[in-house]
Amino acid sequence: MNADELISRLSGPLSLRRRVLTVVALLGGLLGAAFVLLLWLTEPALPGRTQLAFGVLVLIGLGWAGYGGWVLSRRTPLFALDRVIAGWLALAATGLLAGLTVLVAVTRGGVHPVAYAVVVVLVVVAAGILVRARALRGALLRRKRELGG
Amino acid sequence: MSDELLVVRCRLGERDALAELVRVWHPRVWGYVRRMIGPAEADDVTQEVWLAVVRGLPGLRQPERFTPWLFTIARRAVTNRLRAEYARPEVATDAEAVSPDPADALVDRAELLAGLAALPAREREVLILFHLEDLPLETCAVICDVPVGTVKSRLSRARRLLREELNRKEGRP
Repeated sequence: MNADELISRLSGPLSLRRRVLTVVALLGGLLGAAFVLLLWLTEPALPGRTQLAFGVLVLIGLGWAGYGGWVLSRRTPLFALDRVIAGWLALAATGLLAGLTVLVAVTRGGVHPVAYAVVVVLVVVAAGILVRARALRGALLRRKRELGG
Repeated sequence: MSDELLVVRCRLGERDALAELVRVWHPRVWGYVRRMIGPAEADDVTQEVWLAVVRGLPGLRQPERFTPWLFTIARRAVTNRLRAEYARPEVATDAEAVSPDPADALVDRAELLAGLAALPAREREVLILFHLEDLPLETCAVICDVPVGTVKSRLSRARRLLREELNRKEGRP
């Protein structure tokens, strides 16, 4: 096996589409689970079956988020640029969740205080991920210039 | 282009840098793996090594230490395949006479290649890393996760075993 054959065999884990889809699975799962949980918390008296359905939906969302997290940590490399893209996606997803929370709060006369806290924490974490990713990329770009690249 | 620059560019996510890194290092990794486990599984294990390298590159904090990092991954993959061989207790390496400077006791490359397969895994790996890959003793020690003194002992023992093997092949006592 020569180097070019090897490079073609590595194209799977290096596929940008695969990496972005994995990030989307993680964020989509997290966003979906958080939004369903938010709706669940705003409904005071739901029948048992509906509560069960909400619980299953939350679990499905968390399942996708867990799968995405596992793939990103174990199977798919996230390079500096990918991390910046993932950071922006995370910020957009949590921003969307914050918007939906406000919408729900306005239309239903407020939500559980825990929901506000969770949304704020998620937005702060997403912003932190983005700041760290940009700082890492910046440091690598500086090092690249120092090395003459 | 230096290895460090290549690694930095890889960490940034530049695909052409990754291809260049593979082109530069693949022959050496493949050679090490093939000499350690034989040609039958060399391709599969080498691919396994590169998958681990690609997955680990974003987290490689010290790009200047790429060589020991790469060979440590390769060694781990080889060790997994040769688990039974590595599980055998090592013959008292501390008792082995150590050459003052292993570089002084150069082994003929052709001889080395001829007798390599007959050596135990630990001795085979230090000969490959030191004599064929031209890695410094300190780097060999990091890769094998042993002190430099142990690498020297293994090298001395490996050379002795190699000479015995070559003498046996030639029918000399």
